[in-house]
Amino acid sequence: MSGLRPEESKQVKGMTLRRDPLREECFQVVSSDAEMHEWPGMTEISKRERLHRHMNNETGAIEIAAQCLVDFPDGPWELRMQLARQCWDESRHVASLYRRLREIGGRKGEFPISNFEWSVTCSLDSLAARLALQNRTFEAGELDLLGQLPAKWREAGDEKTAEVLESILSDEITHVRFANQWLKRMVQEDRRVLLKIAMAVRFLSAVTAAVAPKEGELSPTGQVFTQVKDRIPQVNIEDRRHAEFSDSEIDEFLRQSGFQSIMPAGAQG
Amino acid sequence: MSLSVQKRAENVGTFRFIHVFLMETLARWVPNTPEMEVKVIFGRHIWDLAQQADALGHRTYELRAPLQFSLSPKDEYVKFLEDFRSTVTTQQRIHGFYDVILPRLASRYQAYLDSTDRLLDEPTARIIDRILGDFSRMRDESKELKNELPKLRLDDKEWPAQLANREAAEASIVAHRPVAAAAQA
Repeated sequence: MSGLRPEESKQVKGMTLRRDPLREECFQVVSSDAEMHEWPGMTEISKRERLHRHMNNETGAIEIAAQCLVDFPDGPWELRMQLARQCWDESRHVASLYRRLREIGGRKGEFPISNFEWSVTCSLDSLAARLALQNRTFEAGELDLLGQLPAKWREAGDEKTAEVLESILSDEITHVRFANQWLKRMVQEDRRVLLKIAMAVRFLSAVTAAVAPKEGELSPTGQVFTQVKDRIPQVNIEDRRHAEFSDSEIDEFLRQSGFQSIMPAGAQG
Repeated sequence: MSLSVQKRAENVGTFRFIHVFLMETLARWVPNTPEMEVKVIFGRHIWDLAQQADALGHRTYELRAPLQFSLSPKDEYVKFLEDFRSTVTTQQRIHGFYDVILPRLASRYQAYLDSTDRLLDEPTARIIDRILGDFSRMRDESKELKNELPKLRLDDKEWPAQLANREAAEASIVAHRPVAAAAQA
């Protein structure tokens, strides 16, 4: 999948992935989401853990966009500009989440963190593959999640965090959209790019399967893990449209989310 | 006598090269700098440097060079930049970039403004004025960060002066080309 040098790579459950980016000593870095300390509901500790986790994910997003600038110096300048802009956006996200985390009594390093998205995405050796995973898969998944989360925080009486998340959502739409636009263009110019993207998606599936918790396994906080298919959030149709996913692609996400039975006949595969 | 159009394009193309190089330097440092707040400030300024490079790259086109034309500086200066990029500690990265590299580059911009005709070359001067304003804001942000995180304090007080001396060793960094070569660019 990649031409990672030994000093750049790590082994996780038999998979070769990119070694973690550097973190301060206060952080405990784990290799998968299954090792994270996820708390149910919207208790005080759960709120802090959610913000802490999100803050580190956004830190990873700066790192991934920045590493693309380093690894692909010959990429189109307009695309590099968008990656540079993404670095700024993600930096503002980290700063705003960290500010909010401190406001509710949290601190850096309070919970374990995982750099899963970095380790998978930065194992890939083409810019198209990285855009396909980081922007078009992970960040698009965030659109779905952020479509629901602000309401959840408001219900818990936290308007400030809801506003932070809504601002982040609007920026993420831009990141997903430019990836969709560039991938379309890259595929039009060279059909072989599709193969790179397909291999990247397969690689992600393999890594996800390798690190997934076993059935019945308990999380570090004593929760029973729900299956991946049960964790897929509701598809954020409106924002996926803003991000220039086609209707047929959105239909496919709906199908994967278990909405097949209520979709129009023509949309069912 | 002020600068010819070709010399202006070469200067602007050289500045663009430096901005892209510095953008890539900060990008390279983001994953391998441990402090989260430092990653954040580098991430912010990657975008500043990209916009500055872009503005310079549009200006090269107006000066009869290609769009987004970059001209590699003299070899010694490129070596200096490469050595700076390999700086390891966060303290040296922060102090080197904000207290040495940006002010030294600002001096080079000032020298350019002093040598060009500010009326004939006003579009370049406007771009540079904006860049100098950005530099000032970027340095202010780094000062705030240094105040917030005392661990970013530099122990080796001599190091910035040494870096500045190395930077200043090359009075002229533009690798001017023969007229024919410039026409083919």
